[in-house]
This record gives sequence, C-alpha cells and structure tokens, in this order.
Amino acid sequence: MAGLELKNIQKTYGKVEVIKGVDLDIEDGEFVVFVGPSGCGKSTLLRMIAGLEDITGGELYIGDKLCNDVEPRDRSIAMVFQSYALYPHMTVYDNVGFGLKLAKTPKDVRDQKIREAARILKMEHLLDRKPGQLSGGQRQRVAIGRAIVRQPEVFLFDEPLSNLDAALRVDTRMEIAKLHADLGATMIYVTHDQVEAMTLADKIVVLDAGVVQQVGSPIELYQRPQNRFVAGFIGSPKMNFVEVAVEAIGPDAITVGSKDVASLRVPAATAGISVGDTLTLGIRPHDLSPANTGAIVGRVAIVERLGNETIVNIELASGTAWLAVLDGDQALRIGESLALAAEPAKAILFDAAGKALLPTPA
Amino acid sequence: MRSRGSIIGGVAAIAATFVVFVIPFLFIILMAFKDKQQSALRDFSWPNGFHLWDNLYEVVKTRNWMMITAFINSSLITVVSVTLLIVLAAMVGFVLARRKTRWNGLIEFLILAGLMIPPAVVPTIWLLQGLKLFGTLHGMILIQVAYNLPFSIILYRAFIATIPRELDEAAVIDGARPLDVFFRIILPLLWPVTVTNIVVQSVGIFNDFTNPLYYLPGNQNATVQLTLYNFQSQFSTAYNLLFTNIMLITIPPLIVFMFFNRQIVAGMTAGAVKG
Amino acid sequence: MTAAAAPALKMQRRSLYPGWFYLPAAVVYSVLFLAPTFASLYFSLTRWTLFDATFIGFDNFAQFFREPFLIQGLVNTVIYAVVTSGLKVVIGMALAVMLTSQIMARGYLRSVIFFPVLVSTIGVGMTFTVLMHPTQGMINQALALFGIAGPGWLVDPKLALFSVALVDVWKGVGLATVIYIAGLVAIPKDYYEAARIDGATRLQNFIYVTLPLSRPATATVITLSFIGGLRTFDLIWAMTKGGPGFASDTVASVIYKQYQAGFYGLSTAGNVVLFILIAVLVVPLTMFLNRKQGHE
Repeated sequence: MAGLELKNIQKTYGKVEVIKGVDLDIEDGEFVVFVGPSGCGKSTLLRMIAGLEDITGGELYIGDKLCNDVEPRDRSIAMVFQSYALYPHMTVYDNVGFGLKLAKTPKDVRDQKIREAARILKMEHLLDRKPGQLSGGQRQRVAIGRAIVRQPEVFLFDEPLSNLDAALRVDTRMEIAKLHADLGATMIYVTHDQVEAMTLADKIVVLDAGVVQQVGSPIELYQRPQNRFVAGFIGSPKMNFVEVAVEAIGPDAITVGSKDVASLRVPAATAGISVGDTLTLGIRPHDLSPANTGAIVGRVAIVERLGNETIVNIELASGTAWLAVLDGDQALRIGESLALAAEPAKAILFDAAGKALLPTPA
Repeated sequence: MRSRGSIIGGVAAIAATFVVFVIPFLFIILMAFKDKQQSALRDFSWPNGFHLWDNLYEVVKTRNWMMITAFINSSLITVVSVTLLIVLAAMVGFVLARRKTRWNGLIEFLILAGLMIPPAVVPTIWLLQGLKLFGTLHGMILIQVAYNLPFSIILYRAFIATIPRELDEAAVIDGARPLDVFFRIILPLLWPVTVTNIVVQSVGIFNDFTNPLYYLPGNQNATVQLTLYNFQSQFSTAYNLLFTNIMLITIPPLIVFMFFNRQIVAGMTAGAVKG
Repeated sequence: MTAAAAPALKMQRRSLYPGWFYLPAAVVYSVLFLAPTFASLYFSLTRWTLFDATFIGFDNFAQFFREPFLIQGLVNTVIYAVVTSGLKVVIGMALAVMLTSQIMARGYLRSVIFFPVLVSTIGVGMTFTVLMHPTQGMINQALALFGIAGPGWLVDPKLALFSVALVDVWKGVGLATVIYIAGLVAIPKDYYEAARIDGATRLQNFIYVTLPLSRPATATVITLSFIGGLRTFDLIWAMTKGGPGFASDTVASVIYKQYQAGFYGLSTAGNVVLFILIAVLVVPLTMFLNRKQGHE
C-alpha cells in the first residue's frame, strides 16, 4: 500500500501552463477527490499521476518511489476511464485479464484472480460477453473489475460516473465507496460534480485554473472555505454573494451592511480591515429563513415548491439575485416582498481579493 | 405503388445491362466451350459439342505448363505483398492518426503524391538492377507494396481515427508496451478495414499487368496477366484457347466478388471519397 | 525540482506511438518510389544506356515536342482522360440515380455493372478487340442485322482512341456508379421532402437537390478517372498497341515503346512529361472541385 506525494508538479503545453505547481500529500488508503470546473486541470493532474502525460516539472512520489519517468505499468496504479475504454474485441473475461496476461501471470492464477474480481463485483454471469452486449452500468463494473484484478496500490478514476444515468450514478457511487472500504486502497477520483466529491471523499482537492484552491475534508470545505471560489463551488445550491460595506469592527467580528442587508454582525478575522471597506458577504441558501425582522429583504421572483422544502429566487434591492431554500411548504406569491434572516455564525465574509475572513475556530 | 412505366423502365434497364455487360462475359464462356474451327467464326453461337476440358488442358500445358507457374507466381506475389501492405500500412496509419507532429503534413503530401504520380519506370528498373531485384519475385512484391501503400494507409488512417484513444491508454495502464498496443488492441479492431484492404488490393495486384510487364521480363517469373498477353500471339488463330485463358483468369476475381462484394464496394468508395 | 531537469529525464520514456512504425513503409516507399521519381528528373536530361548516362540537357524534351507522333501521344492522353472521365461522370450518375430509385432487380443491376471493375484489364481488352473486329466482330455483325454498317472500331485511325476509351468506360463505370451511389445515399431525405412540399417536379428535384448535393462524389469520380485516364497503359496496349500508326498512342504507351527501343533517356523524359501533365492538370482541377465544395 502506498501514499502519494506531489511536489510542485507542473505541466505546460508549449507556452500554455495547465498545472501551475501543485503540492499535495495523499495518505495511504485515503479517498481523494479532485474537483473543479472543466478545464481546471484536474484530469491532466490525474493523467500525470497515471503516467499518461509527461510531467513538465516537479516530483511525483508514489510510495517512496520517484515516478516522474516510470512507465505506467511500473507505478502500481490502475485506472478507470470516463468512457470505460473496454477492449471491444475481447470478452469481459479477457478484458479483466488483459493486464495479468501482459504481466505473464500463470494461467491458473490469472483465472482465479479474474473470478475473484468478478465475484466482488457480482458480474460472474457476464464473463463470456463482449462489451458491446453490456449496459452502461455493466460496462462500468467491468472497467472497475479490470482495475481491481491488478491489485494496484492506487486506483485512479477519471469521471467514471458521467456516462451513467442519474439513478445508476447514485448506486454506483455507493458501490465505489463500499469498494474503497473493502479494499482499503488509495483512491484518486476526478469529477466536476461536487456532490460526488462531498459524498465519496476523505479529502477534497479543489482546483481552478491549474492551481489548488483548497485541500480539506468535505465538511471543512463546506464550513470553512478559504476563498470565494471554493465557497461558490462546494455546496448545492450555490452560496449567495453580495457586496457589503464595513460599518463597524468589533472583537472577532465585523458588522456589515448595504442597501440589501441591514446591519449584520458576522464573526470574522478583522486584521487589516477598516470601516468603510467593501467586502463580499456569502450566505448559503439553506442558512436563510423567513423572519419578519430579517436583515435581508427582497422581492420573490420564482418559487419552486417541492413539498418538503421551497426554493425561492429573490431579487434584492440592488438587483442581485439570491436563492433561499426554506423548510417545508411555503405559499409565496411572485412579486411579494420577503424578509429573510440569516444565522450570522454561518455567514462568511470575503475580502476584495476573494480570500475568506474566517474567524479563528473556537 | 409500382406504375406500368416503372415496370417497363425496369425491364428495359435489365435488358440493356444484359446486352452491354453480360453478353461479353457469355461470349467469353461460349468461346471457351468451342473447338478451333467454330471459334474462328467469333460469333455468338451455341458450341458444337463440349470442348472445355480439351481447351483447358491445351491452355494449361502450353509452353511447358507455364500457366501453372504463372498462377503460382501471381498467387505468391499477391499473398506476400498484400500481407506486407497490411502490416506496414496499418502501422503508418496508426501513428499518423494518433501522433500529431510537424511531419504529418509532409507525410500526407507524400501519400497523395503516391496516389497521383506515375512511377518512373526506367529509373526503377535501373535501381532494381542495382539491388539485384530486377526480374525477381521479391522485387515485384516490394514494388507492389511501394505503389499500393498510399491507398491502404488512407483506408487505415480514416478508420483508426474512429477508435477512441482511451483504449490505447487503458492498455498502457494495463501494462502494454507500444507493440502490445498495436498488435493486441489496434490491429484486431482494424479487422473490417483489413478485410477490405485484402480484397481490394488482392484484386488489383492479381490483375496488374503494367508492372510485371516492366519489372518481370522473361518466362520464368511470368504472372497470369503476362502469360495471357504472351499467349495472345501464340493463340492468334485459336480463339477457343485465348478465351479459355481469359475465362481462367476471370475466375479468381469472380470468386472474390461473390464472397466480398460488400467489402469491395465499401472499400473502393471509402478510399476514393477520403482520398 | 526545477523544470530544467525534466527534459533530459523525459527522453527515457518511450512514446506510445513510436516513430519507427513509419520506418519499414518509409524505406520501401522511398527506395522504390521516391528515389526513382527524383532520379527520373536527372536521367530525363541524359542519353542513357542504363550503364552510362550522357548529359544532353533538354534534348529529350525538345524531341518530345518536335516529333509529331510524340505530340500526338500527348494530345491523345488528354483527349482520352477527358472523354473517359466525362462519360464516367454522366453515365455513372445516371446509373446511380437509377439504382437508388425503386427499380426492380437492383442487386442484379448493381452486380452486373460493377463486376467488370474487378476483371483483368488485359482480358477485357482482348475480348473487346475480338468483339470490335470490323468484319468478324460480334458488334458489327449485330449492327449488320439492323442494316447498319459498323465502323472499323480499332482500325480506323480517327476512331481507335475513342473505341478504347469506350471500353475503358465499360470497365470503369461501375466504380463511378458505386461512388455516386454512396454520395446519393448520403443526401438527407429531408431535402427531397422539402422540395416536394415546395412543389418540385422530379426533374427539378434532380437539378436543384441531387446535382448540387452530389458534388463531392462528382469531384471524386472526376479526379480518380482523370488521373487514371492520363496514366492509362494496359488497356491501350492490349487493344491497339497505340495503333493504327500512332493514332491511339498515349504518353504511357510512348514511354513503353521508347523503353523497348532502348531510348531510356527519352522514355524517362516521357515519364517526367506525364508527371508534369498530371500535376498541371490535376492539381488545379482538384482545387477547383474542392473550392466549389467549400461553398456549400
């Protein structure tokens, strides 16, 4: 078993910098998710770990071994591709066993390992079929089977669920989580879907424009995002933002306000902030609740009544659109005025550079 | 809703194509059944008696069983050069489709040039003599490979572009070396185009007359097309034998046509459209 | 740690798509095709016995454009290419339209029209030489039944080249037809339906939908048969050997005749002339055809 260490990993294509110096420690047995918008470099980073892309600069250690120039087959990794990449001309049995065959594993050992993998993934009945005869979910299983049969120290997943329909995606997500629990191997998983990231990861790496924005546990990223990008990316629906002015600076808190928000005292780091500065206030839709004396007042624009909760699109005085997720069914009329209260402890302030002014944890 | 007009049109089309395209072949077959006197009339008449076996025997044993040698030579040339063509063209098509470098433009230009430019025959002969390959089957095979490579490469490259690159990468992760990727993953997947290539190139090489005429002089290494050409003067008064010979060399393409009609048409049109 | 160290190390990893895959093909192609092609540029300027070559400048080319029979070969080549490719376009298109309609016995028609493509050119040439005999040939015998005195197909100097061209069309029109069929089948049905709603007749359908939308197929047929026509040798050799006289000689048959006669330099000059002829005619032609295509 092995962890990974990335030291200042860089990737350039000609003059274009795709990965701009990534430092990362991955513990043995950890489930790490790379998440970010498309084009952020998460897949490139994964492919560099796999050895499918050359590393332009920096050092990659898998276990204790420097792997920059090691062939993929010698990195003890396995990878599950977005399109599954099953060999169309081979049966499931041969697909799963191809790597072992290349490694010249004796036939009986090979057979035993293939059948063991098939048993784990409950696909013994599919072994004689060709990939063309399988459903999307079954292909996915075969792709995972091909990875586990090699008993790698690190599993790499490149958006493995994006070709499945919604229901199957949830099932497969759970199976991958279970697989991780059973095998205890290190897994690195790339996705653009923050829900997958939140549900699967021990540790999430948020990437944007080739730079690591934050590394942390899902809850840490949700509760204490270090910048506006992470705050906006993690959490669904997205966090609401609005510009506010600093009205007063208290011990470990800043009081802010604007024409959208009546004075709100938010716990925050105060260093370097002075009265009159413009900051950005972020509040998650779930942290808003209707209250007659609420600090935030807007006009109801769209109402989506789901029964157990109500999603309201409101337009603030400045014209900024906010989203609120309210408990239970709320009969709201479009155009009516709605006052919302926010829990100050869950609000986050960001400075002009987008850095979160997080209060020191209690 | 088939109107009377379209039935008449259909019958007319069948009749016209029969006259234009079928009768010449029937003529060949009828001539091959006739004896020498009747064939001299060169008309479209029913054979007086069955002389096919005599004619066949006569043709085959002419000039010391040269026909047999010729069939062996032609088959050898066809089989070996098509095999080489497939392997070499698939390798080029694979790298050409997968790897973008600044050389790609030049390579594509050379491929197009190969399709268009007529070979410079006398310098080629001079070169083959220098290489001690002139008049040999080896030389002929290499010539066929060189001249037919561009077409095969074009067929392969177009098909390889449709195979997802992730397959190559999956194989690499599975521990495959470049040769494994090519021989175990790509080549098997190319099978449909390979069949097309085999069929189209076999027919072309088997029927080739010009190149053997230049590069395979002498009787010893004659091909079937050359043999037919050489027999022309010998059989100038024996039309039954001439047409028996023609019929004989029409049989291999006919067999190929019956089994691979679809692939031939697909291959010829695909290659043509992409070229 | 630094980027500078990486390139040196990177050399050790092999590409998944090794450049040496080009090598075997490149060697065969360069030695047996490219090298002679380049060599021909030099040898065409020499008097050449295969053992030694005397540089004589452009004498061979001068001769090519001075000797009437050589000039005739040049003109014949162009006529032959134009006639065969023109007929293949027209007939191929007509047959393809017929074969993509609801006509009966489509499979039979398609096979019968295509099969000659696969048959030995020499065999076809010899068969038609017999069929086209002025008195004993079946074609003229059949025409005589209708009271028509058939021409001397291959013996009339004015006709010989065209007779061979006709046989070329007979043998090659099947390929043009299948290329057109592929092109016609690719035209979406929507266009015809839209045209029908607009009230187009069958003829208008053909002129305004089929014809413009099958232009890529036309480009292919023209290019292929034009190049083929310019290079034609085997059919002419099997039927007339360039005769009567030099009436049906083409550049390719001239090349062979000069080679047989031992004029290797002149023969090679013929090769260069053919090469230039193809380049001069085909390159603008394909550019023209493809530019038209781009407009659509």
